[in-house]
Amino acid sequence: MSTSLRQCERIARDEGLAAGLAMAIAGAEVATTAPGRWAAVPAESVRAGAEVRHDSLAAREGVTFLACQGRPPAAPASLAEIGRLLAAVRLGLVRRLLDHAVEHLSERVAGDEPLIRKQLITGTVADTMAEVELLREQAHAPHDPAALSDLHLRLDELGWQVLTLFGAAGYLADHPARALHVSFLVANTWIDREGVPE
Amino acid sequence: MIEFDDRLRAIRDRHREAAEDLRSRALAIDADPEAMEPHLDSPAYLMIRESSMPAAHRTSATAAASPDRGSCLENIVGLVELFRGDVGALLACPSPALAGVFVELLGDAAQKERFYRRISDGRTWSFFAMTEAGRGNDATAMETRLERDGSGGWLLHGAKRYIGHGARGGVGVVFGRTGRSALSIRAALVELPVPGWHAERLDMVGLRGAFLSELRFDGLPVAGDMLLGEHLPVTRRGIWGALTTFNNMRMQIAAAAVGTALAMAEYVAEHRKGAPGAEPVAARAEAARHLVYEAAARLDRSPERGYLSSAAKLGATRMAVETAHWAAAALGPAGLLEHPLLEKWTRDVRAFEFMDGTGNIQRLHVARGYRSGDADA
Ligand SMILES: Cc1cc2nc3c(=O)[nH]c(=O)nc-3n(C[C@H](O)[C@H](O)[C@H](O)COP(=O)(O)OP(=O)(O)OC[C@H]3O[C@@H](n4cnc5c(N)ncnc54)[C@H](O)[C@@H]3O)c2cc1C
Repeated sequence: MSTSLRQCERIARDEGLAAGLAMAIAGAEVATTAPGRWAAVPAESVRAGAEVRHDSLAAREGVTFLACQGRPPAAPASLAEIGRLLAAVRLGLVRRLLDHAVEHLSERVAGDEPLIRKQLITGTVADTMAEVELLREQAHAPHDPAALSDLHLRLDELGWQVLTLFGAAGYLADHPARALHVSFLVANTWIDREGVPE
Repeated sequence: MIEFDDRLRAIRDRHREAAEDLRSRALAIDADPEAMEPHLDSPAYLMIRESSMPAAHRTSATAAASPDRGSCLENIVGLVELFRGDVGALLACPSPALAGVFVELLGDAAQKERFYRRISDGRTWSFFAMTEAGRGNDATAMETRLERDGSGGWLLHGAKRYIGHGARGGVGVVFGRTGRSALSIRAALVELPVPGWHAERLDMVGLRGAFLSELRFDGLPVAGDMLLGEHLPVTRRGIWGALTTFNNMRMQIAAAAVGTALAMAEYVAEHRKGAPGAEPVAARAEAARHLVYEAAARLDRSPERGYLSSAAKLGATRMAVETAHWAAAALGPAGLLEHPLLEKWTRDVRAFEFMDGTGNIQRLHVARGYRSGDADA
């Protein structure tokens, strides 16, 4: 189990969102497992003629949305497992983009020093990694829907924290940080947070 | 808490009606921000045009419930309602916007006349070009240059990035430096068409109505009387004007965050009755609304003091992003695909962090203001 969590994090960090998503949902029957009417899948996995919903940002990440039955899911246990693997994918993406941000901020100068030396920035880098370490442990937790839902809400916040580091560049549709925007959309289709108390 | 009198209530109610019109256009503008013709004579745009122009350039008598252009509070009360309609549709409206605030502050009579005459047709966008690709928050290090042309005028060389409406603008302000010091940064009024101007739209994650663009100038001619602030003391000509403009604009971004958060909270309440967390989320958005009013009122009393407007921008922006995350979850699995308006807002709210000073810059302002006693002022 933990091997696959690690693998999902690794592949997302090395190869990006679509590759991570492919691993997280490998072997699942998407149309009957997904909790909503649409499920994020790697675009290249879609069979010709299948009903899909296109999103311009997701498409650039190699992700599309496949029409599904919606609830109730046929296999709640495998859905929970996908939720955990997807959390690992999102952690991998946070690492991937944090590396990128640090490189970007090392080259960018404000006043007479690189932005990476500003303590507010160092603080964000440190907070991001502390949260990554904590959430990685949380992803190992048992299949409790409330904990899983909380995990993904924290991943939403964490992805956003990394996005702020890029300034307006990370808001460009053709910037690599786009993966963090799209992973928010991807998780929205796979995590069932309804009815979970706050 | 700011108590509303009859006038503020009238302003709020009038803007509420226009907000509905804005919202009905929101998804179309996000999908194709170039196709603006169907919206330019809409009731909301007509109202915005009327209230954003100086009296001499208005085409009809102003209704009593137009905000006084000199009152930040009255403007913010109206804007929160419009932003609650849709931030993208509002920012897509041709108006004086940031450039107008700046021209008003630094322009002489002829420059103001030229600026407002050009945009009074309601079909001309204005631009405010300060940011460069290599320099964001650190604008005093900008590289765009104004070089003397030898006959009393200037030639503009350089490039700008993330400039709202740049690629479709008709008139606006471009910052460049005439020398090395921070005081040498000046703003030129630029009216199109003009040789040496190259512009292209950027594809953004959200807030597509703002039409962010990249600009490049190679020897763009600027007549000698088109530099703004020539009639003012040297210290008040360039960056000072920009900073004063930002105190004001920051409130507008805070209002955008509040308006969008209110819209999301109400949207979820309507489409998912009893969604867990709905009450605290709505209460926080309301609290941010009151904070933004309070900060606007304080700016009216002391325009140079930015402490509360920075605190309001920082807090409201964070609250709006958190509201977006909550709303996406509250609509249930794939809710973002089934509710495109909400999906759009979750992208739009992420722009506010970067506009008119990023979060970290506001943090620095807030801490400085706190230490100099402004929190208790
Ligand atoms: C929707 C939108 C509309 C815009 N419209 C306009 C416009 O019309 N005209 C215009 O001129 N510009 C516009 N901008 C650009 C905006 O003003 C810049 O994005 C902003 O100044 C930040 O610059 P940057 O993006 O290069 O980030 P950077 O300055 O590169 O910042 C990168 C990161 O470093 C942090 N940082 C920077 N300096 C410091 C510091 N001293 N201490 C600690 N942390 C720091 C930032 O908070 C951020 O996290 C717009 C941007 C957006 C997103």
